[in-house]
Amino acid sequence: MHRTEGNIAEIEFLYREHGPALLLFAQAVTGERGRAQDAVHQVFLRLLEKGSLSQVGDKKAYLFACVRNAALNDSKLRDRHAPLEPDSAWFRPPDRDYAGEQNLRRALEALPNDQRQVMVLHIWGELTFLQISDLLDLSSNTVASRYRYALAKLRDSMFARENSCANS
Amino acid sequence: MPTLDDEQFEAYLQQFRPCVPEPLPAVERRHRARRVFIVGAWATAAVAILVLGALTLHLHTNRVRVAETSGNAGTPKHLQDSQPLTMRSANALMAKAPSFKTMVDDMAFRSQTVPLPKGKRSAVAVLGKEKIKL
Repeated sequence: MHRTEGNIAEIEFLYREHGPALLLFAQAVTGERGRAQDAVHQVFLRLLEKGSLSQVGDKKAYLFACVRNAALNDSKLRDRHAPLEPDSAWFRPPDRDYAGEQNLRRALEALPNDQRQVMVLHIWGELTFLQISDLLDLSSNTVASRYRYALAKLRDSMFARENSCANS
Repeated sequence: MPTLDDEQFEAYLQQFRPCVPEPLPAVERRHRARRVFIVGAWATAAVAILVLGALTLHLHTNRVRVAETSGNAGTPKHLQDSQPLTMRSANALMAKAPSFKTMVDDMAFRSQTVPLPKGKRSAVAVLGKEKIKL
């Protein structure tokens, strides 16, 4: 499989298209922006070396799987229980709602790791439960139930915090 | 804050877009290298054009200067023809020269540079021998 300008252009396009969601997912796994960035770069640089994704059916799901593997392999070399970075932004807030971004980030950090990954993959990765189940090697029902728990916890956490700020 | 249902809450969450990752190192290096190459090529072409233009101008100027100065070093322009000085040409010089002294100087200078044909004498030589009462 040799590298051509067309293949490189395709990989660059995929990076622009899915890079932000992949970075967010890697942050959800590793807890650190720097390590997440490294994991994403590692995956794409390897793709650029290999030259083509023509044999891959579901490219988006494939990329998330690659990033997850890269992030987990990196975590094995480091402390698996490293706390999530509290101050590094994960999102570009709408209408400069930085408080809302921080609220969302902290609510995600508070979720269990497996629920957080499902949440990020479905909401921002826009993967279906079927794609997530293939990626995480789980059943669709397990994925759906983790997602429902995560959604409810996130909503309670975010709006409880907002209400307590409003009342204080 | 009103409680949002699942669909509304999902829509609210999706308003927060994930941060954009940094550019890929290999791609950024390639784009930078391509930009440097293009700028370098243009700069080289511009310098080459300037050098060629300067060289052409220099050669042209030299050629003109050589043509102008060959055989006429130090000779006033109105005396550059090789005709011997005669009474007629002396009268013409007298009419054109700004002063008598200039006219005499020019005739003297000319007579030094232009050899007279055989059997001819210069007007200055003739006048020099005449005794003129003033």
